[in-house]
Amino acid sequence: MSTTSGPAAQPGQSQTPAPPATAPDPNKVTLTIDGQSVTVPKGTNVLEAARTIGVDISAFCYHPGLPVVAQCRQCLVSIEKNPKLQPSCQQSCADGMVVHTTDKQSTLARQQMLEFTLLNHPIDCPICDKAGECTLQKLYFDHDNQDSRVDVPKVHKAKVVDLGPTIVLDQERCILCSRCIRVCDEVAGSHQLEFAHRGDHEILTTAPGAELDNPYSLNTVDVCPVGALTSKDFRFTMRAWELEATPSVCNGCATGCNVEIHHKHGRAWRLVPRHNPDVNDYWMCDEGRLTYHELREHRLAAPTVDGLPAAWDRAVRAAAERITAAGAAATAFVLSATASNEDNFALARLAASIGCKNVFYAGKPPVPGREDGKLRVADVNPNTAGVKAILEALSHEPRELGALPAEIRLVVMLGDILPVDADRQKELGVIAVSAHERGPVAQAIVALPAAAWAETSGTATNKQGRVQRMHAAFPAPGHALAGWEIVVRLAQALNAKLAWAHAREVFKDMTAAVKPWSGLTWAREARPLALRFAGSRG
Amino acid sequence: MAATRDVASLKQLVLGRKDVQDLSDTETELPPDLMTVNMGPSHPAMHGTVRIVLTVDGERIVKSDVQPGYLHRCFEKESEYATYTQVFPYTDRLNYVSPMINNVGWAMAVEKLMGLTARIPRRTEYIRVIVSEMSRMTDHLTCVGASAMELGAFTPFLYFLKSREWLYELLEKVSGARLTHSYVRVGGLAKDLPEDFDKDLTYTLDKIEGVMVEVEGMLNANKIFRDRMAGIGAMSKADAIATGCVGPIARAAGVDYDVRKDYPYSIYPELEFDVPLGTTGDCLDRYLVRIEELKQCIRILRQCLKQIPDGPIMVDDPRVTLPPKRDTYNTIESMIRHFKHIVDGIRVPPGEAYTFVEGGNGELGFFIVADGTGRPYKAYVRSPSFVHLSTAGQLIHNHLIADVVPIFGMINMIGGECDK
Amino acid sequence: MSKQALAALQAKFPAAVEKTESEFGDEIAWIKKDQLVAVATWLRDDPAMAFDSPVFVTAIDRLDWHPVGAPPSTHWTEDRPRFEVCYQLRSSTRRHRLRLKVAVTEQDSHCPSLATLWPAFDWQERETFDMYGIRFDGHPDLRRIYLYEEFVGHPLRKDYPKEKRQPLVRRDDLPINPIKKDAR
Repeated sequence: MSTTSGPAAQPGQSQTPAPPATAPDPNKVTLTIDGQSVTVPKGTNVLEAARTIGVDISAFCYHPGLPVVAQCRQCLVSIEKNPKLQPSCQQSCADGMVVHTTDKQSTLARQQMLEFTLLNHPIDCPICDKAGECTLQKLYFDHDNQDSRVDVPKVHKAKVVDLGPTIVLDQERCILCSRCIRVCDEVAGSHQLEFAHRGDHEILTTAPGAELDNPYSLNTVDVCPVGALTSKDFRFTMRAWELEATPSVCNGCATGCNVEIHHKHGRAWRLVPRHNPDVNDYWMCDEGRLTYHELREHRLAAPTVDGLPAAWDRAVRAAAERITAAGAAATAFVLSATASNEDNFALARLAASIGCKNVFYAGKPPVPGREDGKLRVADVNPNTAGVKAILEALSHEPRELGALPAEIRLVVMLGDILPVDADRQKELGVIAVSAHERGPVAQAIVALPAAAWAETSGTATNKQGRVQRMHAAFPAPGHALAGWEIVVRLAQALNAKLAWAHAREVFKDMTAAVKPWSGLTWAREARPLALRFAGSRG
Repeated sequence: MAATRDVASLKQLVLGRKDVQDLSDTETELPPDLMTVNMGPSHPAMHGTVRIVLTVDGERIVKSDVQPGYLHRCFEKESEYATYTQVFPYTDRLNYVSPMINNVGWAMAVEKLMGLTARIPRRTEYIRVIVSEMSRMTDHLTCVGASAMELGAFTPFLYFLKSREWLYELLEKVSGARLTHSYVRVGGLAKDLPEDFDKDLTYTLDKIEGVMVEVEGMLNANKIFRDRMAGIGAMSKADAIATGCVGPIARAAGVDYDVRKDYPYSIYPELEFDVPLGTTGDCLDRYLVRIEELKQCIRILRQCLKQIPDGPIMVDDPRVTLPPKRDTYNTIESMIRHFKHIVDGIRVPPGEAYTFVEGGNGELGFFIVADGTGRPYKAYVRSPSFVHLSTAGQLIHNHLIADVVPIFGMINMIGGECDK
Repeated sequence: MSKQALAALQAKFPAAVEKTESEFGDEIAWIKKDQLVAVATWLRDDPAMAFDSPVFVTAIDRLDWHPVGAPPSTHWTEDRPRFEVCYQLRSSTRRHRLRLKVAVTEQDSHCPSLATLWPAFDWQERETFDMYGIRFDGHPDLRRIYLYEEFVGHPLRKDYPKEKRQPLVRRDDLPINPIKKDAR
C-alpha cells in the first residue's frame, strides 16, 4: 500500500535483489526468500534465515536451542527444483536457493497442518494457562483462520496428570511436538519424558520408572507451545496477557542467568529465562525460577530504630550518631555478595570517606554438590565476583568475613547475612541496610529498608566476571529505597562527600574506579513490555 | 461643584469613603486602570470548562488569555494502551454531543490502514451515515439551543433540547445508550438497526421540522437576538483559512469547505445535499449556517431511509469479525479466533494514515500510526474545537464582556474534543 | 495531484528534502531542520502550491518502534533520531495535501516554529511541546497548554509511565478558606 524513494524500505514491499558481492564470503550463503535476497552464515536453516528479514514461517517443534527433528511439519515451504515441500527448520541454506513461503502450496500445507493439529484440541482457552502466549493460538490466527470442519466427537485423553513435583500435564492439549522430551534429554541430561501409543491416541508420558523431577524441569513449560505442561507454581495465579516483562538477572546463584520478571500490579508472578548465548542460552534452573517468592517474604518496609518503626530522618540520624560514637576503628563495614555492585560500591566509598579500614564481605555459604556442569553452581550468591572486584579496586583485600576482630563494636552491613557466632553478635551493634527482615536485621539497632533485586536498577557480576544489568520491574514496597540511595543519606548525615542522584551516576564512578569495568556503558532504563501485545512470543 | 443633598448621598454610597465636598475633580471620575477578571473554568457560559483570563477596560476586553485543558483526559496516551476496539468508548467522549461521528471517524481510520475501506458492506455505510447525520443534528441543536439560552431565550433551548431528546431516544434504541454509543466497529457495526427504525425516524424528523419552524420564528427576526449576534465576532475568510477553522465557523466566513463534498467518503457522493455558506463570519451567520445545516441533515436522512439496502453489517474478514457465539463455544478454531480478537486486538499492519470526516464542528481527523500489533502506536486527534478555541482570543478582542457569551456559544467549543 | 506538489517541492528544494514517502494517499516529505521555515514559506506563498490551510502538527516518538511484521532493519535503534515532528498542510484552492516531517533527536529536541506562518500552529505547537517536550524555536509564547505549569515531564513520551501520578499542587498564594469569618 505504500512506496518509498528513500533509503529505508517500507514494510511489506519487496526490493530488487542486491547484486552479489564481488568477493563472496566463504562462510556465508546467499539465497532468495519471497523475492528478497538474504545472506546468512553457512549452516543456517531456512526458517532462521526468513526470520532475519521479518518473514515468519510457522513452526511448533523447532526451537533454536534444541536439536531439530522436523516432527510437526508446520514449517513446510516450497523450494524451487524440489518437487516436494521441505521443512524449513531442517533445510540448510545454500547459495542460489529460491524459497517461496506464500505460494499456494505452502499456504495450503500450513493451513492443513493447523487444521490437523486442532482436530482433537480441547476447547480449553478460557481455563488454559497458556492462553495469551499460546503458539497454537497465534499460528492459527495468523496462518489459518478458517472455520472448523469437524463433525465428530473429539478424542479424549487424561486431563490432569501429575508428572512430578513441579509439572502437571494435560494430555489432550499436547500437540506432540516433542520439545519437552528434547529439553529433558539435552538440557537436563536425563530421559524422563517420552511418547506412548500412536495415531489419535498418542500421548506424552513419563519414561518407565521415571518422574519429571530433574532440576531443569520447568524449562519444559517455557518451550511447550500449548498449555499441555503447566507449572504447579504458576498455574491459575495470573493470566499471561495481564503480565508485563522487565529484563533482569536471576539472583539465585553466581551463574546469573538472564531472566525476565513477569509482573503486574507491583508484584512478580514468575521468572522466565531470557536468551543469552554466553551465559544461560535459553534455560534456567527451577530453584532460580522460584526465587521470586522471596520478594514478598519477610520484607522490611519501614526504617526501624531498636526494633520499632521510625521515620527516615530519625533512623538515619540514629545510625549516623552510632557510627560517629563508635569511631572508624571500632566500626566494620560488611558488604554483601547478594547486593548489587552499586550498593556495594557506595558502602565501600562511605567506609573510605570516614577513614574506616575494616571492610569485609559476606554471603550465603556455598551449597556442596549443587555444581552440575550445566547452569547450577555451588556459590549461591549472585555477586561474589563483583564485590571482590570492588574491594580490590578500592585497595582493600577482598576479605570474606570470618571472625570479626575483637575491637569491632559496630557493624554496618548490607543484606541480612552476618556469619558471626551468636555470642559475638550479642556484643555487637548492627546497622543493617537490607530488603529482608531476617537474621541479624531483626535485632539490629537501626534497620534501613532497601529495594530487592527485582526493584533495583543496577548491575551484578556473575561467575564469569560478566557485569550484567538488572532493571527495576516495580517500585520497592513501603518506604524502601535503593541501597546506594540509603548510603547517600547516611553519608549526608555523617558529613561525608557522597552525592549521587541516580544509579547511573554511581555506575559511572564505579566503572572509573574498578579498572576491569572501565569500558562498560549504562543502557537506557527498560520499560515493562506488555506481553499481551508482544505478538505471543511462544 | 456644588451638589444637592441627594446627589451627595448617592456619590457617598458609590464611592464609599469620602464626603463629596472632599473629593477632587479627578476623583469624581471612575478609576481608569485595567482590570483582570477571570472567566471560568466554572462558569455557566464556558461550555466544558475553559478558562479565559480577561483584561478589561471597563466592559471592553483589551487582552485575553484563553486556557483550555481542564477536561484533558489523556485520550492519546490511553489509546496507546488499548486495542483498536477498546478505543471506541474513548472516541465517544471526544465530541460528546455528536459521538457517532467520532466512532465512524475512528473506524474509518483503522479500516484505511487495513485496506478494508472498499469492502465495507453498503448497508453498513448507509447506517453509518444515518447515525452520523443524527449526531450532527444533536450537535447543532445543542449548540444553537444553549447559545440562545445564554442570551436569555430560554424557550428555544427547551424546544431544541426536546427535539434532541427524541433523537437520543432513537439512538438509544439503536446502540443502547443516549450518548456513549460505541456503536461502530472496525469493519462494520456492533449490531443492526432495530425494527421499525425508519418509521420512528421519519416521525421524529417530521416533528423536528415543526419545532424548527417555531424556533426560527422566535429567533430569526428577534431584535434582541439579532442585536446580540449580528456583527459580533466577525472573522474574514482569509483569517478563517489561516487559523485552520473548518466546519460551520469557516463556512459562515465564506470558506467553501465541507469534507463530505470536497473529499467525499462513504456514500455521500450518492446523496444530494447543499452546503450553506455565510458572508461575514459573525455569530449571526454561524447561527444561520447551523440552522440551514439542520435542514440539510434532515434531507440527507430522508434520502438514506429511502435508499438503504438490506445486507450484512460486518465485512466478511476473519481478521476483524468476531465469530458467532455458537461456534465460539463449540469449536476450538472459533474459540481461538474470538480469544485473539479480544486479547490481542485487531492487528493493523505497520503504517501511518490521516483520515478525516466531517464532524459537527468541521474536519475531525485521526492520525494513527500503527505498528502491527493490536493497539495503536500513536493516535492523534485533529480536533476542530481546539483550533476554533485558539481563534477565540482574537475574536473577543475589543468586544464587551457580554459579547463573549454569544461568541463562545457559536464557536461551539466542545470540551471533550478540545481537551481530548 | 499531491504527487505533483511533492515533485515540485523536490525540484525547488533538492537539498532540503531528505526523503519522500507515499502512504495511504498522503505524500510525505522529510525536510532538514534548518530549511524548514524556508520550505514552508515557499509552500504557503507560491501560487502553484498555495498551501494556505494548516491541518495539524504533532510528533511521533519512535522509542518503542519495533513493528511486528516488518523487517528488523526498520526497528528503532539508539543511533536514529527519536522524534518526528509532522506538519500536515492542505491547500483550500488547489485541494492537494502534504505532510512535512522533521527528524528531531532526543539530545537536541528543538524544531523551528511555523506558528508565525500559520496561526493555527500556535496552539498545536504548544500542545506538541506540552506532550513531547520538543521546543519550537521562534514560537511567540511557548508554554504548556493542556497541563498545569508545575507538571514535571512530558506525558506522551514513551518512557513516561501511564500510571505515574503527579502531586496535587498547593497554591500558597491563595487562601485556603477565602470566606473570612468577619466578611460582610
